[in-house]
Amino acid sequence: MRRLGLLYLAAQNLRRKPFRSFVTIAIVGLAAGTLFSATLLIGSVHQSLEVGMERLGADLLVMPEGSAESGETALITGTPTSFYMDESVFEQVKAIEDVEQASPQIFIESMISSQCCTGHVQIIGYDPETDFVVGPWLEDNLNRPLENREVVIGSLILANKGESVHFFGTDFDVAGVLDSTGMGADESVFMSMDAAYEMALNSQEKAETFLEIQPGQISSVLVKVAPGTTVEQVAQRIKAGVPGTMVMTANDLSQSVTDRLSGFLRGFFVLDAIVWVMSLLTIAAIFSMIVNERQREIGLLRAMGGSRRFVFRLMLTEALMMTAVGGLAGILVGGAGLFIFKAVITASLGVPYLWPPLWYFGMLMAGTLALAVVTGAIASLYPAVSSSRLEPYAAIRQGE
Amino acid sequence: MIKLKEISKSYKVGPTTVRAVESVDLTIERGDMVSIVGHSGSGKTTLLSLMGGLTKPSTGRVLVDGTNIWTLSDREQSQLRNRRIGFAFQFSSLIPTLNAIDNVRLPATFSGALVNHGRATDLLELVGLKDRIHSLPGMLSGGEQRRVALARTLMNNPEIILADEPTGDLDEETEADILDIFRSINDKGVTIVIVTHSRAVASQAKKVLRMNKGHLEVNGD
Repeated sequence: MRRLGLLYLAAQNLRRKPFRSFVTIAIVGLAAGTLFSATLLIGSVHQSLEVGMERLGADLLVMPEGSAESGETALITGTPTSFYMDESVFEQVKAIEDVEQASPQIFIESMISSQCCTGHVQIIGYDPETDFVVGPWLEDNLNRPLENREVVIGSLILANKGESVHFFGTDFDVAGVLDSTGMGADESVFMSMDAAYEMALNSQEKAETFLEIQPGQISSVLVKVAPGTTVEQVAQRIKAGVPGTMVMTANDLSQSVTDRLSGFLRGFFVLDAIVWVMSLLTIAAIFSMIVNERQREIGLLRAMGGSRRFVFRLMLTEALMMTAVGGLAGILVGGAGLFIFKAVITASLGVPYLWPPLWYFGMLMAGTLALAVVTGAIASLYPAVSSSRLEPYAAIRQGE
Repeated sequence: MIKLKEISKSYKVGPTTVRAVESVDLTIERGDMVSIVGHSGSGKTTLLSLMGGLTKPSTGRVLVDGTNIWTLSDREQSQLRNRRIGFAFQFSSLIPTLNAIDNVRLPATFSGALVNHGRATDLLELVGLKDRIHSLPGMLSGGEQRRVALARTLMNNPEIILADEPTGDLDEETEADILDIFRSINDKGVTIVIVTHSRAVASQAKKVLRMNKGHLEVNGD
């Protein structure tokens, strides 16, 4: 036999005006969904930055003057680019005070043509002698350096370990696949600089499209600063000491991503705040209506022995049920929306993306749900209190 | 059992103060069956509500077994109404979202006791509606709804039943059925106070009280 508890009575009450309940749930769902998806987006971008910057392993990047924008985009989203400077820059940077480690890289943009390349990707040539980005990964996962016809690929490159990829007339074996970072590294192919120069040389004979880079050309220098100094201080010294270059710090990259997000999110959160206020007012208005509509029933419940506390709890339970259902629906729809449109959103905002860990999801879901429920509690508080204070006889008479 | 001492009740209707009940002294003994008659607006229903603690008197005291119910906490008052008093109203007083048996079971949920499905079914059988236990109020006629409400009134075995026009706008046959039920439970010692316009109903009572402009006139024993 079903128990006639608060939950059952509240659920039955919500079913009596299904459209009204649906609208209230939908408004709360909209508020919860926008908050959940926007916060998840921020969390995912930060997660990606954190993992991506750790993978990058450098405090500073030195690139040719005027290449800031394309370099930044390549690092963040993996949009292929190429720019070059003389390798003497590496020696100059290495000589700067408090530069603990420096390593040159060369960026090569592969062609879209299938005859040329496996895909339109960013090829990054690193120097095995000085490298501190790919090297540690190779040590952990391969236990040997890459050979000249081997590459390590980002998680989004469509190839598996042991398969072959084709760039500018040269075939390379995939020696390993890097873990996902959500950043440009996921769409990059790493090979040694010697392999890159050799590929360029071979392209003259084997490829339809020549790759025109010369030994002695590099694209960037990754820098680790010595302990006890600040990244900014070293950046200033490089700017002053190595003409024709620009310096990008890890903070610059994070700030750039934050700037890209902030305009979009500002509008999003303003909209969300409006929807939350709307849902608060709607719930308050609807519950005031409910109290008026059900005065006689409230009086009857009191006559049958329902206490003020019972009436208060009944009203509150109805509000909490609606907001909990709305919150859950919002979380599901908002999460699904972000999952489906993730690629469009990140591409249009130019931000990296990496799903955060499960605990973050759990906390965010719990927080959003709690906010929805608290909104319901606050909005229904006054109607619930006023309904509990109705004198049974007056309530019965006024409801007639 | 129920004692009203110098009870008055007035309330505001716009700028006017309506004196619904004025200086009423009344004692209702255990096992009584009392009817209260009077014109519309004479204060009958207000008097009944005062007896059951549904409204607070402006002055005076309402004693149930010697306890002034307005000195009790809301919880204690609610328990009193739930465990000792059964109300029957002049309108359809069922909760529209609950079926007949759930409406009957409702008072038992407030008492914290296990909801006795068997008793609820028996009561619906008593009022002749055993075959309608799963019907929602909207599917029942006015008379059937009134009978379900009566079954609900009896659910917690009340010692006192306060009935406000329990047979108003019902056909004679249904009215007779309901009065039979009242008589049989009064025979078992339950105190019954009925507010009515009906001479037939009033004539069933052991004592008839008349309300006139808020004052109580005793018609006879």
